Amino acid sequence: MNALLLPTGGRVVVGGYDTAEESFVWEIRRMAGMVFQNPDNQLVSAVVEDDVAFGPENLGLPREEIRARVKASLEAMGMYEHRKMAPHLLSGGQKQRVAIAGVVAMKPDIVIFDEPTAMLDPEGRGEVIGIAKQLHREGITVLLITHFMEETVDSDRVVILDGGRVAMDGAPAEVYRQTEAIRALGLRLPFAVEVAAALRARGLPLGEDILREDELLDGLGQCLLK
Amino acid sequence: MSIEVNHLTHTYNPGLAYETTAVDDVSFTVARGEFVCIVGHTGSGKSTLVQHLNGLLKPTSGTVVVDGVDVTGKDTAVIEVRKKIGMVFQYPEYQLFEETVYKDVAFGPTNLGLSEAEIDERVREAMALVDLDYDTFAQRSPFELSGGQKRRAAIAGVLAMRPSVLILDEPTAGLDPRSHDDVLDLVCGIRAQTGCTILLVSHNMEDVAGLADRVFVMNEGRLVRDGTPLEVFADGDYLRGIGLALPQARAFAERLAESGVSIDAKRILTREALVDAIAGVAGDTGGAGITGMGGDPS
Repeated sequence: MNALLLPTGGRVVVGGYDTAEESFVWEIRRMAGMVFQNPDNQLVSAVVEDDVAFGPENLGLPREEIRARVKASLEAMGMYEHRKMAPHLLSGGQKQRVAIAGVVAMKPDIVIFDEPTAMLDPEGRGEVIGIAKQLHREGITVLLITHFMEETVDSDRVVILDGGRVAMDGAPAEVYRQTEAIRALGLRLPFAVEVAAALRARGLPLGEDILREDELLDGLGQCLLK
Repeated sequence: MSIEVNHLTHTYNPGLAYETTAVDDVSFTVARGEFVCIVGHTGSGKSTLVQHLNGLLKPTSGTVVVDGVDVTGKDTAVIEVRKKIGMVFQYPEYQLFEETVYKDVAFGPTNLGLSEAEIDERVREAMALVDLDYDTFAQRSPFELSGGQKRRAAIAGVLAMRPSVLILDEPTAGLDPRSHDDVLDLVCGIRAQTGCTILLVSHNMEDVAGLADRVFVMNEGRLVRDGTPLEVFADGDYLRGIGLALPQARAFAERLAESGVSIDAKRILTREALVDAIAGVAGDTGGAGITGMGGDPS
């Protein structure tokens, strides 16, 4: 989706630009930023703020504009106070936030997160997911690739891939209603969905649209605290 | 084989500005055959601790005694320790290096100077333990395997040494849910078949609650809790204070109990236990058509 790979067949169009068209590649990459899994493999500079400036510098922006963008994106990621540090001294979650700041400094319309939390501890995971949600609130299109089903329940849409094909595509509540099909794909269900499904099987009258712990708690309150 | 750790302290960069004490006066004993999970916030000293157990790191002070042998002693042959203690590092598949799975798994036994027949036997045994079919995979390049298969091949290389203690440092990090479950099933299978002692470092409290006989909690280099999962997870406020979570089922059970539902959250660690407890309450309160838990509404 940012022209790192090109299709053998079919077309990918990002913001109106066909990724196969070589002259669009740089505009597509500015528009669709990417955050990868391993925080150690995507930071290139010895100082945090230089790393964030790397993308804007390549756009050939004026110095003042680069400075302003680096400051704004580091502040947005809560990493401005660490701007003079060496990236290797940061925690995994902090490194990912610097990587995201580098993407945000390009003023993208789309941010693609490729398993950004796979190598992080639970705290780091929370930091990164919080930022993905923040970018979304600011109007950026967010694509999140993840193995952690809990991270999907607040999305607008869940797409499940299997063997290179789209197996399911819909709102979380629609997709997670198909509990057996999801298990058959080798995936887990989000915690509240799984517990609610097991309890429905035992006869509890819980609604089928429970996705989050709060909803499960409400549903159980109605069943058990009459 | 028992492991005794006495007043173990490890200081990185002693005397320099970056001096940090990663392990601080830790003592414990692990008996043969125990399944111990080690948890702790990033930087709490878990990995530094386990690297002392097979002699990869030497303590700044204190001793590590494995099966009566002081592995921290200057004269101890490290090879003897490594034969007994197998270590699976984080992302072990990055350590695969040979042309074929067979050669990779055979690397350790070959270094022990075993005969070809013995090496062959061990490779077959180790591949069977990790559920990699010998005829399908032995002559394949390890780099052609899927992520989960690579990880199993790497674990086979450790098992080929026939260790009596297996240490795994976050063995499921970065795996999809199915491969995650496969690797943990594998660890349980290895334990059932070989009787070896398991030390598993994990961030996943669900796994810890389901697997461990005993849980060690590390914080700022110290061993701050040592007990069964029920004992250790009893103190949720303390664990949250040092940046750890409760198993999700327990945390939810606590919220449910607070909301007025009469379930005993202190006994719940897994999703199965949570579902049983809630179904039990529903049965007791006379919910229509509740099956399973026998709570007769009359």
